[in-house]
Amino acid sequence: MRKDYLKILVIAFILLFPLSSFAQGTLEKISKSGEFVVGVRDGAIPFGFISKENEHVGFSVDMAKEFHKALEKKLGKPIKLVFKTTNPKTRIPLVANGTIDIECGSTTHTVDREETVDFTLTVFLTGTQILVKKGSGIKSYKDLAGKKVGAAQGSTNEKAIRDLNDKGEIKPAANIVVYQEHSQGFLALQRNILDAYVTDGILLAGLKAKAPNPEEYEVVGGFITYDPYAYIVRENDSKFRDFINIEIIKMIKDGRFYQIYDKWLGPKGVVPYPMSEEFKILLKLQAWP
Amino acid sequence: MAIFDYKVIVDNLPFLMRGLITTFQLALIGISGGLALGILVGMARLSSRPYIYYPATLFVNFLRSIPLILVIFWFYFLVPIIAGRPLGDFLSASVAFIVFEASYFAEIIRAGIQSIPKGQMQAALSTGLDYKQTMRHIIIPQALRNMIPSLLTQSVIIFQDTSLAYVIGLKEFLRSASVVDAREVRSLELYTFVGIVYFIFCFTMSYFTKKWEAKKGMAR
Amino acid sequence: MLAYEFRWSVLWEQPYGLWMLQGIWTTIKLGLISWVFALLLGIIVGTCRITPWKPLRFLATAYTEFFRDIPLLVQLFFWYFAAPRVLPSAMESYLYRQLPQAEFWITVIALSIYTSSRVAEQIRSGLQSIPQDQFHAALSTGLTYLQMYRYVTIPLAIRIMIPPLTTEFLTIFKNTSLAMTVGVLETTFMSQQIEAYTFRGLEATTGACLVYLAITMLVVSGMGLVEKKLAIPGLIARGR
Repeated sequence: MRKDYLKILVIAFILLFPLSSFAQGTLEKISKSGEFVVGVRDGAIPFGFISKENEHVGFSVDMAKEFHKALEKKLGKPIKLVFKTTNPKTRIPLVANGTIDIECGSTTHTVDREETVDFTLTVFLTGTQILVKKGSGIKSYKDLAGKKVGAAQGSTNEKAIRDLNDKGEIKPAANIVVYQEHSQGFLALQRNILDAYVTDGILLAGLKAKAPNPEEYEVVGGFITYDPYAYIVRENDSKFRDFINIEIIKMIKDGRFYQIYDKWLGPKGVVPYPMSEEFKILLKLQAWP
Repeated sequence: MAIFDYKVIVDNLPFLMRGLITTFQLALIGISGGLALGILVGMARLSSRPYIYYPATLFVNFLRSIPLILVIFWFYFLVPIIAGRPLGDFLSASVAFIVFEASYFAEIIRAGIQSIPKGQMQAALSTGLDYKQTMRHIIIPQALRNMIPSLLTQSVIIFQDTSLAYVIGLKEFLRSASVVDAREVRSLELYTFVGIVYFIFCFTMSYFTKKWEAKKGMAR
Repeated sequence: MLAYEFRWSVLWEQPYGLWMLQGIWTTIKLGLISWVFALLLGIIVGTCRITPWKPLRFLATAYTEFFRDIPLLVQLFFWYFAAPRVLPSAMESYLYRQLPQAEFWITVIALSIYTSSRVAEQIRSGLQSIPQDQFHAALSTGLTYLQMYRYVTIPLAIRIMIPPLTTEFLTIFKNTSLAMTVGVLETTFMSQQIEAYTFRGLEATTGACLVYLAITMLVVSGMGLVEKKLAIPGLIARGR
C-alpha cells in the first residue's frame, strides 16, 4: 500500500511538470501514447448516447471508430481507442487542453469557437428548435415568454435564447434553466420541471424517439439558428485535421458515410431523418478530388 | 407513481457496481496520498524555518477556504493548460483529492503533534536523542494514537467527497446512478439506493472508529 | 508553451461582471439562510442527544448518524430528483414550475438538514465537555436548575462551541458550490458560465476562488472579534 501511494504521488508530481508542450502534433501524440482519445456525448441522440448495455453508441461514435481504423493503418501499429464522455460545456476545453484528441459529437461549427479550436468538415446540418409536451400551447420561440426553458450550458441553443431574451424578442423573458447534458434536460421536461427544452432539431427528434412515450412530445418552431455540425480538433494542427478531413472525404466517396448515416438516421435508424437536398449537395461539394 | 421498482437497480447492477469500485479506488488514493502529503505539510507547519512554515501555512489556509469542486475543476481543465499535458478524469480527480485532503490531514497531524505535552520532548532531548529521533520514536507514535479517530473520520469524509467527481463526469457511483436515471427515469429508486449504500459504508466505518476510540483511550 | 491569452477583464466586463455579482449574492443568501435553519435544527437535535429520555435520544442519534453518513451531493440529488416523486403529480408540477426558485429552496433544505446533523454533533460534544464541577458548584451556591442554565451552562457552552461552529459556518458556504449541479446560479456556476461563453477558464475559476477566499477571511475575522468580545479570561486555555 505504501509503495502504491508513493508511486502515485511521484507520478502525479511528474505529470504536473511540463514534459512535452503542445508543439508536437496530435498524430505524434497518438503514436507516442498508443491511445486515441475521443470525446463522445452521452445525451446527443443519435450522434452520441448510452445504449441499454451502458455503452457509447451513435453516428459520431461510429465515425470515430472509422477514424480509429484509419489511424491504425496510417501509424502502422495498434492504437487503443478510448472514449471519454464530454458535454457541451467541456468539449472545447478538453480538446484545447489535450485531454481528448478529437470530439466526435454534435458540435456546431461557429466563428466564435474558431478562436480556441479548429473544426473538421461539416458532417450534418440542423438548427435550434423547441421540444415540448403535446398540448403545451407553445408553437414558436415567442411562446416561450415567461416559461421555464432548459438548455445545455455552453451550447449555441442556450446563447440563442439568451440573445432573444436580451433583445426583447421574448417578452417577458424566458426563465432559462441550464443543464450539463441534454439527457438531464429531457429528464426535467419529462418530470414537468420544464415547460420546454431547446437544442438542435435533430437531437430533439432523437430525445423524443428514445423516450418511453414519444407520442407525448413534439418538436415545434422553425430553426432559430443555423447549426452545421463538425468535429473538434486542436488549434493549429493541420496535419491531424487534414488526416481526419481526408478520411471523411474517403468515407463520402466510398459510401461508408452514407451507410453510417443510414444506420442511425435512415428509415430504419433510431431517428429517421432523410438527407435534405442541401445536405446532399454539401457532402458532394466537400469531397475534394 | 408510488411503486418502488427494484428492477432498475438489479438490471443495472454491474454498471453501478463498477461505479462503486471507482469510488473506492478514488477514496483509497485520496486517503493514502492525502495522508502522505498531509504528514509532510503538517510537520512543515511546525517548522521554525520561515521558508518552510509560510508556504505550508499558505497551502493549508488556501485549500481549506475553497470548495472541493473548484479544486477538481482546476486540475481537470486548467492544470493541463499550464502543464502542457492532459491529466484525464481519474488522474485529475485523484490529484485534486490528494492535494485538497492533504490540507485537512495536515491540520489534524499538526494538532495531534502539538497535543503531546512539551515535557515529552524535553525529557527525550535530555536523554541525548536528537529532534528527528524524538519525533520518530517518542512524539509521533503517541500523537498517532491520539490522531487516529480524527484521521479515520476524515477518511470517511473523503469517501463521501468522491461523489463530487460527478462534476467532471467521472463514472463513480453517483454519476453511474444518474446516467441510468437519465435513461430510465427511476430517480426515487436509484438515489435511495445510492444513499443507502453510502450510509452502510460510512456508518460502519464511523462505528468502528468509535469502538477504537473507546478501546484505546487518549494518551496523556 | 503557455499560448493562452489572459483576459482578466472577463471578470468585470458586462454582462459577465453582472453574472458574477449575481452569483456571489446567491451564494451569500444560500449560505446564510441554510445556516439559520441548520443552527435551529442542530441545537434541537443536539440537546435531544443528551436528554435522559431514551426514545428521544435514540431518534436524535439516528438523525445525526443518518445525515452525516450520506454525502451532501447525494442528499441534494435525493431532495431534488427523488423526493418529489412521492408527491402527487400536480404538486410535483407546482413545486418545479410554479414555485419561484425551486432549485434554490430545495438546496436550502438539503444543505440545512446535512449541516444540522453536524451542528448537532458539535453541540452535543460542546455540552458534554463542560466540566461537571461547574454544575455542582452552581447548584451548591443555591442557584436553581433554570438559573444554572441561564447563567452558567449556556454562556459556557456558547464560548466552547464558537470555534467548531465557525468552521461549520465556513463549510456551509463552501458547500453552496454543490448547488451548481441542480442549476442554482451561484458563484461556482456563474464562473463556469463565464468560462462557457469566453473560454477563459483560468480567469473565471480564479475569480471564483477569490470570492470564496474573501468570504472565508470575512467570516474568520468576524468570528475572531466575536470570540474576543465574549472571552472569559482564563476559562479556556488558549494554545497561542
